[in-house]
Amino acid sequence: MASQELLINYLPILVFMAIACVVSVAMILGSLLLGKQNPDSEKNSAYECGFDAFQDARNKFDVRFYLVCLLFIIFDLEIAFLFPWAISLGEIGVFGFWSMIVFLTILTVGFIYEWKKGALDWE
Amino acid sequence: MLDFNLIPILPEIFLAFTAMGLLIVGVSGGNKSTDIICWAAVLSCLMAIFLLFGISWQRTTVLNDMFIIDQFGGFMKLIILLGMIASIALSVKYLYQEQMIRFEYPVLMLMACVGMMLMVSAHNLLGLYMALELQSLSLYVLAAFRRNSYKSAEAGTKYFVLGALSSGLILFGISLVYGFTGSINFSVIQTSLSNEGAANIGAIIGMVFLLSGLAFKISAVPFHMWTPDVYQGAPTSVTAFFAIVPKVAAFALIIRLLYEPFAPLMEQWSQIILFLSVASMTVGAFAALVQDNLKRLLAYSSIGNMGYALIGIVAGNEAGVSAVIIYLFIYMFMTAGTFGVILCLRRGGIASEKISDLGGLSLTNPALAYAMAILMFSMSGLPPLAGFFGKLFVFQAAIDGELYALAIYGVITTVIAAYYYLRIIKVMFFDDPVDTLDKDIPFARRAVIFVSVIFVLGFIIKPNLLVSSSQSAASAITAPQGLAVKKTIKEPPQAAAAGDRPSSTEAAATVTGAQDK
Amino acid sequence: MELLAVFLPLFAFIVAGLFGKQIGDIGCQIVTSASVIIAAVFSVILFFEVGLGDYEAYSTILTRWIDSGTFQVNWALRVDTLSVVMMCVINIVSSCVHIYSIGYMSHDAAKGRFMAYLSLFTFAMLMLVTADNLLQLFFGWEGVGLASYLLIGFWNHKPSANAAAQKAFVVNRVGDFGLALGIMAVFVIFGSLDFDVIFSQVSDFADYKFVFLGYELHALTVASLLLFMGAVGKSAQLGLHTWLPDAMEGPTPVSALIHAATMVTAGVFLVARMSPLFEFAPVALIVVTVFGATTAFVAATIGLTQFDIKRVIAYSTMSQLGYMFFALGVSAYGAAMFHLMTHAFFKALLFLGAGSVIHAMSDEQDMRNMGGIAKKIPATYTMMWIGSLALAGVGIPGIFGFAGFYSKDMVLEAAWADASWFGHYAYWMGIAAAVMTAFYSGRLIFMTFHGKPRASKQVMSHIHESPAVMLAPLYVLAFGAIFAGFLFYNSFVGSAHHGEHDAHHIAKPLASGDHHDTAMIESTTKRNAKEEIKKAAGTIKAGIETQVSNVEEKMIGHAESIAEDHSNGDLNPRAKSDNDQIDAAHTDKHTNDHDDKAHFAATKEDFWKNTIFIRAGNDTVDAAHGVDLWVKLLPLIAGLFGLGLSYIFYIVAPGLPEKCVKAFKYPHQLLFNKWYFDELYDALIVKNALRLGRVFAVAGDKNIIDRLGPDGTALASLKTGTIFGKIQSGFIYHYAFIMIISVIGLVTWFFMKAW
Repeated sequence: MASQELLINYLPILVFMAIACVVSVAMILGSLLLGKQNPDSEKNSAYECGFDAFQDARNKFDVRFYLVCLLFIIFDLEIAFLFPWAISLGEIGVFGFWSMIVFLTILTVGFIYEWKKGALDWE
Repeated sequence: MLDFNLIPILPEIFLAFTAMGLLIVGVSGGNKSTDIICWAAVLSCLMAIFLLFGISWQRTTVLNDMFIIDQFGGFMKLIILLGMIASIALSVKYLYQEQMIRFEYPVLMLMACVGMMLMVSAHNLLGLYMALELQSLSLYVLAAFRRNSYKSAEAGTKYFVLGALSSGLILFGISLVYGFTGSINFSVIQTSLSNEGAANIGAIIGMVFLLSGLAFKISAVPFHMWTPDVYQGAPTSVTAFFAIVPKVAAFALIIRLLYEPFAPLMEQWSQIILFLSVASMTVGAFAALVQDNLKRLLAYSSIGNMGYALIGIVAGNEAGVSAVIIYLFIYMFMTAGTFGVILCLRRGGIASEKISDLGGLSLTNPALAYAMAILMFSMSGLPPLAGFFGKLFVFQAAIDGELYALAIYGVITTVIAAYYYLRIIKVMFFDDPVDTLDKDIPFARRAVIFVSVIFVLGFIIKPNLLVSSSQSAASAITAPQGLAVKKTIKEPPQAAAAGDRPSSTEAAATVTGAQDK
Repeated sequence: MELLAVFLPLFAFIVAGLFGKQIGDIGCQIVTSASVIIAAVFSVILFFEVGLGDYEAYSTILTRWIDSGTFQVNWALRVDTLSVVMMCVINIVSSCVHIYSIGYMSHDAAKGRFMAYLSLFTFAMLMLVTADNLLQLFFGWEGVGLASYLLIGFWNHKPSANAAAQKAFVVNRVGDFGLALGIMAVFVIFGSLDFDVIFSQVSDFADYKFVFLGYELHALTVASLLLFMGAVGKSAQLGLHTWLPDAMEGPTPVSALIHAATMVTAGVFLVARMSPLFEFAPVALIVVTVFGATTAFVAATIGLTQFDIKRVIAYSTMSQLGYMFFALGVSAYGAAMFHLMTHAFFKALLFLGAGSVIHAMSDEQDMRNMGGIAKKIPATYTMMWIGSLALAGVGIPGIFGFAGFYSKDMVLEAAWADASWFGHYAYWMGIAAAVMTAFYSGRLIFMTFHGKPRASKQVMSHIHESPAVMLAPLYVLAFGAIFAGFLFYNSFVGSAHHGEHDAHHIAKPLASGDHHDTAMIESTTKRNAKEEIKKAAGTIKAGIETQVSNVEEKMIGHAESIAEDHSNGDLNPRAKSDNDQIDAAHTDKHTNDHDDKAHFAATKEDFWKNTIFIRAGNDTVDAAHGVDLWVKLLPLIAGLFGLGLSYIFYIVAPGLPEKCVKAFKYPHQLLFNKWYFDELYDALIVKNALRLGRVFAVAGDKNIIDRLGPDGTALASLKTGTIFGKIQSGFIYHYAFIMIISVIGLVTWFFMKAW
């Protein structure tokens, strides 16, 4: 059966997952069984680069961070698309070239929109 | 090698570029240009209709078999574009009345429109997913469009989260299908499934996930839970849009999926659709009885209506598909008119959406009351109005498919549902009047209501216009597939098309072949 | 023409009914009256063309009504002698009643509605008689039932009127049930409801049998009896008669039009129309005869004891309908129709006269509170005499008689001539009824008009003669009551063998003809030659002279004067209101002038053509002309005897009735309580039906059907709705949970099926 052949192709993954499970479980169990359990208040407090925590971790911060993050992801992805395209340009020819131009145009339109909307201004 | 024929995809390309152009115009002109952009969007939809008529509706696939145009797709796109025009026309004045004048609104609608049209024409599971997401993302934003309203924000959030869940279901389904059939191309999936059939349990499970995700889009029970909240919370013009257009597109997508790649699994999927249909009819009929918010009521009404439309798919024959198309077309007109009326319910500049706000409308604004009464009668399926014929065709298809119990159940729930439609009429005509409505009803809204009422009343005069075109659309999707199931892989499925124009389909087949090289 | 004659009243109804408020009361009165009068003129013309003339009977098909497989029914107007006779009677009497109502209802608030109902009734009745198939006839039949219901209950503020209307409706349903079954039976037998089709096939089905519950039944007899059941209900024959006296709760013009002249004769018409069917069902004919004769007798006995003036006439109507039915039963269809026509005239006259009395007496209907008013309302008094004489059938044999004289004698002679046990039974019952008829007619006149006044002084001082608009129709009807029998005798029941005898009848009065009726002649239709009209006028004049009555003189004079006004083009209100009289006068002129032409439908064969079918050897009308002299004279003697007796009882010795009542206490009580029919029905049917109904209403409907049906499902639906509403909690995770659960459920389903 074709599907069984297909499944056999996935066998290494199954093996990998099994080993991962075994190893992680073994490590946790090992530290639990072998290590000394002797907690005090210092050991239980939050550890932050050697300093005491200044304030609550769940504080608000500027939404522009998100915006910048999102924009970064978008253009990062654009680059990620460009690499394989650049390598295979010889193969895909004119059609491939224009496809990417269209893609870039659409992204540019989005970029113009962001710019005009002021998403890039930090004040 | 690569397929470079872009002619069949011209309307979508046109709309996509228009949308981007309007985005640039809007962002440089600011929100002042909103109404210009709205009307430009309407115009571009009209243009797209012209383009749609300009291209050939012969069965053709382009872009490496990812995109298909045929009679069915062409007709469904026509319906979508008409619905778009109605929705945008209904929205324009509303944006001003509700102080949410932002030029993104029509642009988003156009984007959604592109997504929906691509959905109808998808011939590949990934293409399907891309189109679906383009549509859905636009809709999420639209649902939350009134940012400063809690309800709208809540509606948007709910829709987004649950929509993401449904997208996840769809993606999982796609990967299962791909895993068990080895392809994401509709034709290949079909061939593979017709060889293995029900033995391929993995593909069946994939289909279940896929259908569950799509049931969310048409708000079929039990994937309907978002509908009442979103309908109620979203701005009314957006609700109108939700009710009118995306349903049609999602339905078209479901029909294409079921009759092309999953046609060999008809025995299995008809069980799912049957379940969805019965559940939707039940919830649509009963839950609406106790609502007092008009938009929420219409949400349940739309759930119920989707249930009736699904009957046509369960029937599993050409008459059934044609009945679904007719049903959706009529439903779209009725809904557009109904929302037109609801948008008119404003007192002193404040919109009201409670049923009791309709009280005594026959005295304060008789024209509106009669229009609403006609639409409600039609919704409840009273002859000789259009709504009756929609139901008639669907039930007839069910009876042709020997699904007597389903047809009877449909009739029973219709009777129950008639209660709440008639209640609206009762409130309008027999209850004490509340304050008079604002008089300034914009022209576009009047036009939509008028056209819809005329359609509902006049359908009986010439039903054949719609019936014959939807039949040819239905035959395009059902006839070749049903026969192709038993054929070998190489033969183009459309060779066995309905007998009325064999030569043209053959010609189309050769064209496709030539382009494939 | 037949279209106009039938549909003008409908038009009038629509106009008066829908636009009554816009055109006002007077507008309604003008529209309805004018329409019906025009319709009357057209129907009279039709009568000449089709009845007396040589025109063939024909049907005008209006449109296809029902087309369902082999079941095809048209809307059509059938014009033949039978229907034109009915059309004439209906339209003429209806015109009179319309005009009369203008005066009678002048104090009523809803004049427009009343006129509209009258027109509706007229239309429905015309549809009934011009029907070309049984279904259309049924349509008209139910239409008149509806109109009758509306008009009996016209004074809907009176509970008794509402109750009477309901009673009439319900009792008629019983009959209509039979009729509907009969129609279905006819369809089963013949596969069609068209009269032409049925009649042409009757003889083929003469021996056709039904099998019903294992019994073999003669199909035609069954169908005939079922149809007759409908006739019994509509024509108030014994058993289903109880609604008719109660129907007198309606306004008097209604009683005259519907419950005397036209609607109640629909049953007679039905049997006459279906004569081919009945002829092949001898058993049915016997049933018809016995029913008719018994009704005639019983109704007359009740009439003896009643005190309400309208009820007396109502019972008399019932009795006379009994006459018509036994005439039908002995195959004397012509005689029955003849009596129907004459009866329409004199009974409408009596009712309208009674209405005039009631009007004069300030709405008093009890005869015990009347008396001694003859001098105060002479015109009404005279009219009532004419009506009563016609009803009693007084006349001088061989010379002239009132209308009833000819028709009633003919009916009785035909019954005797049938020479069968039921024929003789009918004859003797008829004679007995005739005595009583004459007696109560006399009693009515004497109690109402003679003796000492028994009303209060206040009422007496108010007594006044009715206005011209009410009297004019009386004159027209009186004319009919006097001459209708004399003039149409030959046409309806004349026999070729006895032509000389009949010619004698007409020739004699003709001898002394003169002509001063020119004013009226000018305005008569142009299609009559002048001499003929003169002769006609002569006939009337001569008739009047021989019959001796200044009243008629007066009446003709009145008519003339109006006619002169009319011909001078002076359309003052008086002339307008009397238009009808002129038209009706024309009508009778026509009749005259055609009748006296010896070749013109001198025999019943020429007249009826093929509309009535009588099997060979069954023609009792022919035979009736040859019965013994005593048979012919007995009815007259009976009538005179009855009148004389009443004179003795109420004028000579006013104490006698009291003594008789005492002497015959129990028989009197039986009669006074109408043979306890109402009580019997109440005890047997109404109470039990109500009890059963209550059981079903409370136990069956409320507790079972409503609880499980409408109320229960509604409640259950709402509850289900609420549950669904609760599931809709508003929390995203609930929603997502349901979605996931559903997907898992579906997946599980397919896994379970796969393994």
